[in-house]
Parts: sequence; C-alpha cells; structure tokens
Amino acid sequence: MEIELNGLKETIPDNMSINALIELFKEGDPHLIVEVNNRYIFPKNYKTTMIMENDQIEFINPNLGG
Amino acid sequence: MLETDKLNTDMEKRYARQIILPQIGPEGQEILGKASVLVAGAGGLGSVSSFYLAAAGVGHIIIADNDHVELSNLNRQLLHSEISLGEKKTRSAVRRLSQLNSSIKITPFQKELTWHNIDSIAEKVDIIVDATDNYITRQSLNRGSLKYGIPFVFGGVQGFNGMVSCFVPSRTPCFECVIPQPGKKKKNPGIVGATAGITASIQAMETIKLILNIGTEKERLESRLLRISGLDMKIKSISLEPDPDCPVCSHADFKV
Repeated sequence: MEIELNGLKETIPDNMSINALIELFKEGDPHLIVEVNNRYIFPKNYKTTMIMENDQIEFINPNLGG
Repeated sequence: MLETDKLNTDMEKRYARQIILPQIGPEGQEILGKASVLVAGAGGLGSVSSFYLAAAGVGHIIIADNDHVELSNLNRQLLHSEISLGEKKTRSAVRRLSQLNSSIKITPFQKELTWHNIDSIAEKVDIIVDATDNYITRQSLNRGSLKYGIPFVFGGVQGFNGMVSCFVPSRTPCFECVIPQPGKKKKNPGIVGATAGITASIQAMETIKLILNIGTEKERLESRLLRISGLDMKIKSISLEPDPDCPVCSHADFKV
C-alpha cells in the first residue's frame, strides 16, 4: 500500500504497525516522535497502531541540543 | 526631582514600547518586575532567552550552567564574548545581563541541575525556561515543574532545526509524556547560531505570555509542539495530549 512518510510517497507491505514501519526504515532514534494524520502517537502504542492506505506519517527526531 | 521619581521615570522610559501594548500596560510591567524565572543553561538558547527576559524587565533571573566559556561557543552563545573565554558561563552571563539591565536581580547557579538540587531552585521561581543540551537535565526540570506546579518552557535545537513547547502542570502533557525515555546524548552536534536565536526568542515570548497570562491556552504553545525547520523555512506544530499512563505526571501531586 501507499503512504506518505515525511512528505515522500512510499510503498510498504500491508498490515504494518508503526513499530514495524520504524524497523523497516531503520529509524534508530530512541526519542522519535511519530505523528499519523496530524495526530501524535504515544510510543507505548507503536506496536498496536496499524498503518492504513494513504496515511500521512511524520517521523520527527527531537532536537535536544541547547 | 526626587530620586524615586527619577527611578520611576527611567523605568517608564525603558519599558515604554511594551507598556503601550494593551496586553501588557503598567500593570503587566509590574507583574514582570515581580516574576522569577530559572533559565536552565547559559549556552545558545539561554543566551538569547535570558537576554530578552532581562530586557523585558523580568525581576529575577536565575541562570544555571556548569560550564566555562570556550571559543567554539561563540558562534551562538551571544551572552559571552572573547573576553569571557575560560570564565564561568554564569559569571559571564551575570555581567552581560547586568550591563543590559541593572535594575533587575540576576543570580548565578554554577552547578549542574540534577534531581537533587532542582527543588531548591524550582520552589523559588514562577517558570522554568529550558536551555539545556541533554535529556537527563530536562527530566530534572520536568520533575521540578510538576512538583511545584510551574510551567516548563521546553526548547531544543540542532543544525537548522528547533522545537518549542510549553508544558504546564495540570493543563498539558509533561515533557516525559512526549519523550518518555532517555537516549544517548549527541556529542557536539552541529548548529547554526541563528537556530538557537529563533528558538530561544520564541521561548522568551511564550514565557512572557505565561507570566502575564496573555492569550488562550491554544494561542500559547500549550499542548502543541512547534517545529522550526530552518533549511526549508517551514514551521509546523503537532497537537499533543497527556499520556494517562505517564509514570511521571499522571501521579504528580500538583499544586495548581
């Protein structure tokens, strides 16, 4: 299925959770913030939140420098 | 002219351009003068936020940092200059802020902020302004904010990008609802000085709005994380909500 990840069209397998998407794209930031269709997803829900066709997903790496 | 009259006239002149704003006025200026703020860090963010808060007439600024000024700081840490090299950052900060505004109180705290000492400062201030460079110190600030029921104005920067959000106990998620686990601190990440300037200016603006209760919760950066992307010059915000299972704030004993 097709999704939009950080503004880019991507084709990914069906029935993927956020967790699986993080693994697929080898996103290793432990502070990662995930937004799906403008909605913030709690990290504890990454395993159970399933991605749907045409979802707009943002992987946001927090800036923690000062 | 009596000395007190001259002092009042000087104060009116100094803050004239903000006192004429209907959102501030003389009453707001008085409130700013009575406010106490912890600026947690005298680096890139703290340089700019403390400067604007001092200029605005925030009556007491506690500026905390454990470092000394290095040459590599000077591309962004505008409180310091070549004559401050090797000096304690808080000492350099107090000197520069006092030059800008000698009528306010500035207190240095030349120690690392930790869970053990945050209470002694958080109990004395109205707001915590984040200007740290790591997760662990932000955790301490978050705990202080929750324990004393005072807002925590988060800011973070890297490269061309910055983030800001106001975490307000009992009204918004806390910092650890949004970023629940520590990770490795990046060593000396790259940064353009102006990134810290933009981000810290927004933090200073939000701090003044919180002190004076200007705007609605939606108009302030409450329950929203602002993302500033300097490379393509886009600003976006994400709506945040409290985590009902947050091990930190869901059990906090709020004062507010």
